Amino acid sequence: MKIIKKAQSGSFESSDIIVLIEPVVEKSGRNIEIDSSVMLEFGDAIAKLILDKLDEYNITDIHLIVKDKGALEPTINARLETAIMRACDLQKGTL
Amino acid sequence: MTFEDTDFRQELLDLKNPLDIKLLKTFLNSLGFDYKPEDVEITMIIYNLNNEIVGTGSLNGNTLKYVIVAPEFRDSTAFPLIVTYLADKALEKHKQCFVYTKPDTAKLFQALGYSLIATAEPLFSVLEFGYKTIKDYQHHLKKQKVKTTTTNIASIVVNCNPFTIGHRYLIEKASEENELVYLFVVSENLSAFPFEIRWKLIEEGIAHLKNVKMLATGPYIVSGAIFPNYFLKHESWSLISEKQAEIDVNIFVEYIAPVLNIKKRYIGCEAYCETTAAYNTAMHKILPKHNIEVIECERISANKDFCKNDYISASKIRDAIKKDTLKDVLTSLPECTKNFLLSEDSAEIRLKIKQRNGRH
Repeated sequence: MKIIKKAQSGSFESSDIIVLIEPVVEKSGRNIEIDSSVMLEFGDAIAKLILDKLDEYNITDIHLIVKDKGALEPTINARLETAIMRACDLQKGTL
Repeated sequence: MTFEDTDFRQELLDLKNPLDIKLLKTFLNSLGFDYKPEDVEITMIIYNLNNEIVGTGSLNGNTLKYVIVAPEFRDSTAFPLIVTYLADKALEKHKQCFVYTKPDTAKLFQALGYSLIATAEPLFSVLEFGYKTIKDYQHHLKKQKVKTTTTNIASIVVNCNPFTIGHRYLIEKASEENELVYLFVVSENLSAFPFEIRWKLIEEGIAHLKNVKMLATGPYIVSGAIFPNYFLKHESWSLISEKQAEIDVNIFVEYIAPVLNIKKRYIGCEAYCETTAAYNTAMHKILPKHNIEVIECERISANKDFCKNDYISASKIRDAIKKDTLKDVLTSLPECTKNFLLSEDSAEIRLKIKQRNGRH
């Protein structure tokens, strides 16, 4: 899947995560920046969640920034999915 | 007392509505802040279900302003709520957003994931958040870096609004005395002459200098973020501009000079503009501590017999345009600027200068 535009999801609140996605030139790979208040403990787990989600959507070229404030796994997955859907212009009306 | 998000209602203020403005002014004045609606593009406000104002935040371009939460709600989620909302809005149009705040509140923003760029104790900290960071700018500079073995590397930061022979003199002098000169051109478009035109005129004017490398400053040198003096009512103006300048110079020594191996900075001496004078003071104070030499040059005059008030200055040129006396100052202009100002291409800019009241 191709990232078409920049998009974000989530918030700065505690127990949430903010995800920023930006398109990059083709074949430049994945540029992922992770910052978390629980980096030491869960940094690797967050990275794995992100990579799995990108694999799931078959995304190879992306600039992705996350700032985590201790979000739980389902939250992280939901935020990632929303951001990806927005960035790929797949999001349907939700109202 | 704890609050859930659902207790909060967020709204955008209608900045054209005097009632809305009055509401916010009353709220902010009660907490000791001055609110100037002309300083901001959008303002959001958070109420609780009792219609009490919980907090507010504003945005001017990509700079967050007036982010304030009422003391009785500071243990709630109002602060991240405001910051999220504003960051959302800012990142729609920009690659990053900035916050200027006091060093002790900088921690709050850092806790939200903003990264600290520089601090000038005890007044200012600058933080940023977004797709791009100062590391990307450093990366960009590394790509532009000229391969050289010499350590005789100087730098100049210019706005050139517009380019005069005074600027050319300073650049030529640096070019003669050093093997390599990095010329930073302020890229923010807050001046009468847009960046593209300033850049083009300089490029033409210094084409004969082969050891000068032109670079755009990006948002990090002489940033256009307006002085956030609203939360500094009790500080003197000179201290504010001194600290603002310190931030700027700190960023220069910490992030820019090391990447390009800069050892000298050339500046023109400043006689009339307090802000620029504050910059020069800050540079004299900070740069030598980091092994960067500051070379302050006397300004030159268009006439041969030099008298003290006769120096060339870009603001005099703008003044002349305003008063329609451009032909009196033509001797202060290099060919490229002269041709540009006398041509039809500059008609729009000249008209804009005439209508403006500000100095820049």
